[in-house]
Amino acid sequence: MQNKGITIKELTVNMGPQHPATHGVLRLVLELEGEIIKKCIPHIGYLHRGIEKLSEDLTYVQSLPLTDRVDYLSSMVNNEGFCVAIEKLMGIEVPERAKFIRTMMAEMARICSHLVWIATHALDIGAMTVFLYAMRDREELLEMFEMVTGARLTVSYPRVGGVRCDVNNRFLDKLYNFIEKFPKKVEEYETLIDRNRVWLKRTKGVGVITAQEAINWGLTGPTLRGSGVYYDVRKFFPYDAYDKVDFEVPVGKNGDVYDRYRCRMLEFRQSARIIKQCIEKLPEGPILADNALRIRMPESPLKIDKKDIIFEIYIEDKQIQEFIQKFTEVYASVEAPRGELGFYIICDDSSKPYRMRVRAPSFVHAGVLPKLCEGSLVADVIANIGSIDIVLGECDR
Amino acid sequence: MKLKEVINKIFLIEIFKGLFLTLRMLFSKSVTIQYPLERREVYDGFRGRHALVRDPFTENDKCIGCMRCSTVCPSRCIYIKREKRENKMVVVDYIIDASKCIYCAYCVEACPVCALVLTEDYEYSSYTRKELIFNKEQLLKNWDDFASKWKDDFYFNKFWQPPGINPSRWPKTKREQKPIPIRRFVEIKKEEKNESNN
Repeated sequence: MQNKGITIKELTVNMGPQHPATHGVLRLVLELEGEIIKKCIPHIGYLHRGIEKLSEDLTYVQSLPLTDRVDYLSSMVNNEGFCVAIEKLMGIEVPERAKFIRTMMAEMARICSHLVWIATHALDIGAMTVFLYAMRDREELLEMFEMVTGARLTVSYPRVGGVRCDVNNRFLDKLYNFIEKFPKKVEEYETLIDRNRVWLKRTKGVGVITAQEAINWGLTGPTLRGSGVYYDVRKFFPYDAYDKVDFEVPVGKNGDVYDRYRCRMLEFRQSARIIKQCIEKLPEGPILADNALRIRMPESPLKIDKKDIIFEIYIEDKQIQEFIQKFTEVYASVEAPRGELGFYIICDDSSKPYRMRVRAPSFVHAGVLPKLCEGSLVADVIANIGSIDIVLGECDR
Repeated sequence: MKLKEVINKIFLIEIFKGLFLTLRMLFSKSVTIQYPLERREVYDGFRGRHALVRDPFTENDKCIGCMRCSTVCPSRCIYIKREKRENKMVVVDYIIDASKCIYCAYCVEACPVCALVLTEDYEYSSYTRKELIFNKEQLLKNWDDFASKWKDDFYFNKFWQPPGINPSRWPKTKREQKPIPIRRFVEIKKEEKNESNN
C-alpha cells in the first residue's frame, strides 16, 4: 500500500515455541497489521513422543503408564479413559468400590488440572497472587495422590478391571477435610479476580465463539460449555460411578474468555461435591475384578524357566481372543479436564493393540485458535490460549 | 444498581477487597518449606530410587533371575545377565537404567520373591548419566543407604502386595512375604565391625 511515500507492510511475528504464555511449546505465526492480527497459524509437534505408535509395541497393561504422559497435568483421567476403553473391549465388569475410588481420584485430578489452569491463566493476564494460592492448594492434592498411588504426577493408579491399591481411612479423612475447606479457597481466587476491572477488561468480549461455531469446530469440555452448549460426557455417556452421584454441569452464555473462566470456577465446586458424595457412598468390597488382566505373575515362582513367561503371555492372549469375536475395535471416551478424551483401539489376535488412537481435546482446541484470534489484538492471544486450556503434551502426544 | 456501580468504580471496592485478602494472608501460617534445610514427610510407598533388597540373613540379594521384571517393564530398562553354573541358573549382574525408568513399579509388583523395591529415597540426582545406571552392587548399596535412614525396624513396600487385591493373584512366596528386619541387621553388622576392630 502506498500512502504519501510511506510503505505499510504486514509484519510476521513468531510467538513461541519458547514463549512462557503458550503453556508449553506451541508456536503461533502471527501476521499483524499494526496491532491487529490478520492471520494466525498454530504450529504443533514440538513435544511429539509417539505414544500411539509406542503402544503398538507394548501389551495393554504396559501401555497404561504411557497414558500418564499424554496429559501430564491430569494423568489420572487419562489412565481412567484407557482402562474404560479396554474394559469395554474385553467386557470386564469393574467392582463397585473401584468405580467410586476412580471417580473420586479423577475429580481430584480435575481440580489439580483446573488449579494449574487458573494459576497460569491469571499469571498470563497479570494476577500473580492467584498463582501462589492455587499452587498452595494443589500441593495438598498432590500429597494425597502420593499417599495412595506412590507418585505425585504420573500416578498409573487404575488397572484394567479395577484400581491398583485400596484407599485407607487416613487418606479419606484428609481428603474430606480438604474438600470441606475447598469452596472457601475458590472464593479466595474469585475475590481477587472475579470483579477486578483489569480482569474484566481483558476477558469480557474477548475470543467470542458462538454455540453453533463451537459445535462445528468440535470443541468439548468447559470450552464448549462456555458458549452455552450443555454437553458433558459424564452426564450423557456415564462411565464409572458418575451415574450414581449427583452433580450439575455449569454452562456459560456468551462464549467469551470470561464465560469459560466462570464455567471452570463452577466446576471446582461441582468436583468438590462429587468427591464428597463419593467418600460418603464408598462401598466395601473388592477393588479388582476377577477376570482383570494380570501383570505377568504366574504361579510356581521358583522355576526359572522361560516357558512360564510364555505361558502367561499365552493366557493373556487367550483372554483377549475370547472377546475378539465380540469386538474388534472400541471407542470409549471420558470427560478430561480439557474436554472429551477418547481412546480408539483396534485389537488383533495378540496381547498388543493393533492401533491406538487418542482423541485429544487439546489438539482440537489448538485448531480453533485462528478463529478466536483473527481480528483481535496481540495481547488477546494470551488470554485466548489460556482460556482454551491446552496442554501441548496431549496435543502432540 | 447504577449507584452501586458508580461507588464501586470510584472507591475501587473490589481492588481493596483483594488487597485486604492478601494482607490477611500476611498473618496466616506459612506453607513454604525451605527445602534443603527442612524436608516434608514422604509417604510410604513413594516410588523413588531403585534397590535390591539385601537379605538380612544371607547378606546377598534375593533375585532368582526369573526375568519377570524385565518382561513387564514398559520402558525396558532392566537388564539381567544370567549364567548356568552346575545345572543352576545364577544371576551374574542386574542392571537398571534409572534414566530410562518411568517409575511405574510394575517390576516391584511382578517380582515373585520381593527382591526388587523402589525405595522412598528421592535425592539421587547426579552430574553424569553413568551414575544413574545401577548395577547389582550399586543397587545393594542403595538398599543399605536407604535402610540406614529408615525410621522403623521393619520395612515392607506397598507394591509387593498392593492392599485390597485378592492374595490369590500372587505367587506363594510373594503371598507369604514378611516385613524385612532392618535395624537389627544394621546393628548386627555394627557389632561385627566393632569386634573385628577390637
